[in-house]
Amino acid sequence: MFDSLKKRLHAIRNAFGSSIEDAMGPAPEEEVEQPLPEAASPVQTGETPPAEEKRERPTVINRLKVFVKEQEVLLQEKDIQEPLFELEMALLENDVALPVTDEIIARMKEDLVGRRRRLRSSVDVLVLETLRSALCGVLGDGLNLIDYINSHERPIKILFIGVNGTGKTTTVAKVANYLRKHGFSVVIGAGDTYRAGAIEQLGTHADRLDVKIIRHQAGADPSAVLFDAVEYARAHRIDVVLADTAGRFHNRANLMNQLSKIRRVVKPDLVVYVDEAVAGNDAVIRADEFNRTVGTDAVVLTKADIDPKGGAAISIAHTIKKPIIFLGTGQGYDDIVPFEPRAVVDELLGGEAQCWTDSERP
Amino acid sequence: MLDRLGTSLKDALKKLAGRTVIDRTAVDELVRDLQRALLQADVNVKLVMQLSQAIKQRSLEEEPPKGMGVREHVLRIVYQEIVNLMGRPGEVTLGPQTILMAGLQGSGKTTTVAKLARYFQRKGLRVGVICADTFRPGAYEQLRTLCDRINVPCFGSPTETDARKIVREGQQACRHLEVVVIDTQGRHAFEENLIEEIIDLNRISRADHRWLVIDAALGQQASEQARRFHEAIEIDGVIVTKMDGTAKGGGALSAVSETKSGIVFIGSGETIEDLERFDPDGFVSRLLGMGDLRALVERAEEAVAGEDLDVNALLKGKFTLRDMYKQLEALNRMGPLKQIMSMLPLGNVQIPDDAYDITSAKMQRYRVVMDSMTAAELDDPSVIGSSRIKRIARGAGVSPDDVRDLLKYYKVMQRALKGMRGLGGGKFNMQRMMKKFGRTL
Repeated sequence: MFDSLKKRLHAIRNAFGSSIEDAMGPAPEEEVEQPLPEAASPVQTGETPPAEEKRERPTVINRLKVFVKEQEVLLQEKDIQEPLFELEMALLENDVALPVTDEIIARMKEDLVGRRRRLRSSVDVLVLETLRSALCGVLGDGLNLIDYINSHERPIKILFIGVNGTGKTTTVAKVANYLRKHGFSVVIGAGDTYRAGAIEQLGTHADRLDVKIIRHQAGADPSAVLFDAVEYARAHRIDVVLADTAGRFHNRANLMNQLSKIRRVVKPDLVVYVDEAVAGNDAVIRADEFNRTVGTDAVVLTKADIDPKGGAAISIAHTIKKPIIFLGTGQGYDDIVPFEPRAVVDELLGGEAQCWTDSERP
Repeated sequence: MLDRLGTSLKDALKKLAGRTVIDRTAVDELVRDLQRALLQADVNVKLVMQLSQAIKQRSLEEEPPKGMGVREHVLRIVYQEIVNLMGRPGEVTLGPQTILMAGLQGSGKTTTVAKLARYFQRKGLRVGVICADTFRPGAYEQLRTLCDRINVPCFGSPTETDARKIVREGQQACRHLEVVVIDTQGRHAFEENLIEEIIDLNRISRADHRWLVIDAALGQQASEQARRFHEAIEIDGVIVTKMDGTAKGGGALSAVSETKSGIVFIGSGETIEDLERFDPDGFVSRLLGMGDLRALVERAEEAVAGEDLDVNALLKGKFTLRDMYKQLEALNRMGPLKQIMSMLPLGNVQIPDDAYDITSAKMQRYRVVMDSMTAAELDDPSVIGSSRIKRIARGAGVSPDDVRDLLKYYKVMQRALKGMRGLGGGKFNMQRMMKKFGRTL
């Protein structure tokens, strides 16, 4: 995942670096390398840099003053314009939706312009720090499903929602398998009573995984099916209920109302929004719509093996500000991996991030 | 969000309106807005860059044809370039054929297969379907259920695991049928053994068409996937599914560009009838979040050409009611007045929305009134006195005031044309005329 973005980001960091170098002009020879003043600022939630950091308007006089007096430079917008454009293109090419890209770029710009940079201190660190903070801010903290189940009253009810063909049914099967492996008992509710073959599909999965499935006939009320599934779990002291639903488009008011009804009846602990990693800009629109009309608590991103770029992850996480819990990475039951945003960001920014993952530790 | 985008494009176009010389910054701005619109519609980033380069270059270098405003000129280039990118709509023959479907997981192949079966069935062909998806549980049941609803035979087996064998046997079983559609398992281009499989299926079935199913929401990955599918089995048509959502289907454009094929169908709903032949204009409009672009371009061209008007007679000062009738008819054909006004180079003249409705109603009435006139009256309106007005009013079912209103309008138009003649230039100036005409209404 994220391989191509990683490659592009690396190139762009260099571009940022050189244009910032250019902006500085020649450095005095005798200047001794000094430790970085602010590089160690922790950026866990993407908050703005610490308050003591001075921001000045990068006018010529200010720049000169700072340069002469303190051997530092103030960054100007035009110094970083080109690499910013490249970053923008890289994000777009990696399927980060346009509005999200705009915001990341704006945040980068805001963070970098007017920033004082001590001469000859590593440019890389400055850029990395900013980029990392932007990405961390977007991806959030993540959610560990196992911890969640352990810390809540059972049965835990998880409702899977999303548009058609994103892989809800397959994801339900994979999550069932994942939870079984972690020692939880599971029951599946076949709530997709609309699509032809959906109940058979989930039934086959349940047989193969040896998991109990509650199903009615095709065309039945999904709320009733899922209510029965929850009742079954209560009666049999089962840990987790996984509730499948029919795929639906977010611009269908009636179908969205049906989902709200299911939500009222089932009272899920987690509403998991399922979307695919290959989705482009529409990912933002529909995630937002589902989040607004039905409400979501977490996200599963499927088909990550098709599109390792991961832009949709950034788009969706940024739009609805909900943690991504799993990535679906293939056709097998085991092809599901918990999503850890910090690990992903570190991975994304490459080995060089080391210098300051170190400085981050107290 | 969609609307906002359309609006910003329109604003950019507005800036070009009424200019006689192409302004580099205005074109830059337009191209930038266009880029954003296309990127947001998931068109491949590289394609967008190429497209916008071409548009910029052509807009700045090409001379607008005589009589065409800068805005229409640029609009036409934008339209031409996008249509270029899109290629021709894929061909669909209504005869015996075998169609092999390919696509990513969850892109809607199975549903589309059933829809296609229905499409050909309605065209009077005997259709059969083969379910070669041996992987996904329930795939056969799904296709079977859908086919049963429309009484189309569905060949397949939920227990068989060899897709090649199913296709071989299925084709035997479907020998007496005219159209055979083969559904396959969802796969992506990085799964080598599955690509291998579809190459085999293509060889075994000797399919006439190999259609790639693309989800309208598919993003930048569309290019890469389409390219690889194309390398494997030579895709000769693209079907865009899920166009009933909010996705704009830019990925399909990337796919078409990679496979050098065309879009054949569009899936736009969950029922079996929801399959449409591809309409390039509607698609581009949706892509840009703007009204029907081609219609606008054509209308602008028409307005400039003004074929329905005898320009020479007009310039000689002979503007009769007959000419006005033709003119109103032409306007009527050109569509709702509001759209015409929005594309005419009126600069930033703001006309309140409700004015349009009154105006269109009025125009309709004018035509009815003129229908009640004699040939002599139409050729020489000066003969119309008060008794003729009464007769015309009775004939048209309007009040005499309406008839007078029309005559007043005619005089305004006549004066407007005279004024133009005075300015010389020898060209029928629609812009000026529309301006006058906007003021009188």
